[in-house]
Amino acid sequence: MSPSDDGQCESLTEIIIPSDLSAAKQPEQRILQEVRRCGYGPQEAFAIKLALEEAITNAIRHGNGNDPSKRIIIGFSVSPQRAVIRVADEGEGFCLEDVPDPTADENLERPTGRGILLMRAYMNRVCYNRKGNEVTMVKLKP
Amino acid sequence: MMGSDRPLEVQVKRQPAGAVVSLRGSASAESAEQLRAALDGLAEQGCRQVVLDLTELEFIGSAGLGAIVAGHLRLRCRGGVLKLVGPSQPVRRMLELTRLTKLFGVYGSVAEAISAEE
Repeated sequence: MSPSDDGQCESLTEIIIPSDLSAAKQPEQRILQEVRRCGYGPQEAFAIKLALEEAITNAIRHGNGNDPSKRIIIGFSVSPQRAVIRVADEGEGFCLEDVPDPTADENLERPTGRGILLMRAYMNRVCYNRKGNEVTMVKLKP
Repeated sequence: MMGSDRPLEVQVKRQPAGAVVSLRGSASAESAEQLRAALDGLAEQGCRQVVLDLTELEFIGSAGLGAIVAGHLRLRCRGGVLKLVGPSQPVRRMLELTRLTKLFGVYGSVAEAISAEE
């Protein structure tokens, strides 16, 4: 993937939702509808659904601290070549290096902390802004 | 198992050797609490063996995995054990990626899981 393929400069359609998991269904359905329309296979659709859910869940719980007055901004662009998804929250951000490795023996029994690992495993590119309150993810169509 | 929007169905069947919990549909972040509550309930009832049948599970995210891990911890605290059955290829891949296969026995059928040594 070339540097221009990181989705940072992409023009995205935006949907704004409150910090509420039930509100995430509508943008999820809309994005997956676009994914299917552009001919992505079931494995890619699964990966995008998973990454989107993880990013939104992190934004609501960790970013906005479940504060219903704070918003989540979901941007997306789906073409027959690639899907770009951006999720931003109104939180203080975080440092990626501070996130414990969920696959380390000492962390295996922790019920939380696997979201970023899954996003990185299932998407072709995952990158955060400097503050750490916005993630951009890219899935290439094979 | 691909981008399913079917809501999660959790069916619990008590058996002499413990309980079989069958999952259908999508174990999303929103529905993970439903799974967690079902497993907590069985642990509180003193169930010694819970077989989690994933055969018809179409989607699971980290919150669903977390509910399974939390259930495992609750059961183990009370001397019980949690076993997994029939994950589809994508679910199995997720269990392997997260190394949760190290925590749980994964079996091909409910009968195999029930009869397996703990």
